[in-house]
Amino acid sequence: MKIRKSNGTNNNRNKKTFKETLSNGFKSGLNTTWILSKIIIPVYFFITILKYTGILKWFSLKLAPAMGIFGLPGEAALVLVLGNGINIYAAIGAVASLTLNGKQITIIAVMLSFSHSLFTETAVAKKTGISVAIVLFIRLSLAISSGIILNLVI
Amino acid sequence: MDIISILSEGVINGMKAVFTIAKIVIPLMIAMEILKDYKVIDKISKLLKPISNLLGISKNLTFPLVIGLILGLSYGAGVIIKEAKEGELSKKDLYLLIIFLVACHSVIEDTLLFVAIGANGWFLITIRIIIAIILTVLVSKFIGKYLDEENIKKFTT
Repeated sequence: MKIRKSNGTNNNRNKKTFKETLSNGFKSGLNTTWILSKIIIPVYFFITILKYTGILKWFSLKLAPAMGIFGLPGEAALVLVLGNGINIYAAIGAVASLTLNGKQITIIAVMLSFSHSLFTETAVAKKTGISVAIVLFIRLSLAISSGIILNLVI
Repeated sequence: MDIISILSEGVINGMKAVFTIAKIVIPLMIAMEILKDYKVIDKISKLLKPISNLLGISKNLTFPLVIGLILGLSYGAGVIIKEAKEGELSKKDLYLLIIFLVACHSVIEDTLLFVAIGANGWFLITIRIIIAIILTVLVSKFIGKYLDEENIKKFTT
């Protein structure tokens, strides 16, 4: 086969056997699982405590009007804050501990897929030379407008 | 319910949630490793070259685009920084690429994670890609002419 000029990141394709590729993938999967368990379990634990102490209900009532524009219950604010402030795994831990219906989960998923892990990802984007304000503006406005629109159409 | 059972409920259900995600993440990471090592992304980005016209970026930049789209923002940004250092990137290219990628990256991983908690994956991935394309095309059409086409040679990282 003709060897094409690669503009790629790694040139070590010939150095690795298929087995090594598989085991690297497996290791990185285990590593991710470990990282996410360190996030999901505490989040789940924390929300379970909030639920049984009644704090969640109080918080949810306060935020219900604001979350209502996305068709979400008040406690969903917690999911959005965790997803944007920490990462998607934290948000998933929170979603799993709440009771939300299919429409609500889809709205949360779309909103969070546009805007999540804001601290870490904005830092990454900034390294390329683009302004933080532009990145945040784009992500938050996509998330907010998609939430409002999806609530109206689905 | 007493305090012990509340606490253990929290931990046990948390572990169940981790298990659900692990079933997705481990096979996914293996697949990603294969995509990386076997240059599948090179091939995909060659196939997607025509899309660069639509987005208003240079032809050789579909590679960082696809890298970011599949492997994630930090991989994409890494390739973008490399291209910028080599002087192959204009300011317009940089802005359009990053605008696309901040709206839409690691689509496979993110989508599967949300599928694990009950979201509709096809809906999610389609809406995300389409919105990111529309956004980039709009920025390209309306603001593109104000971003200078000169290459960025000097770069601070």
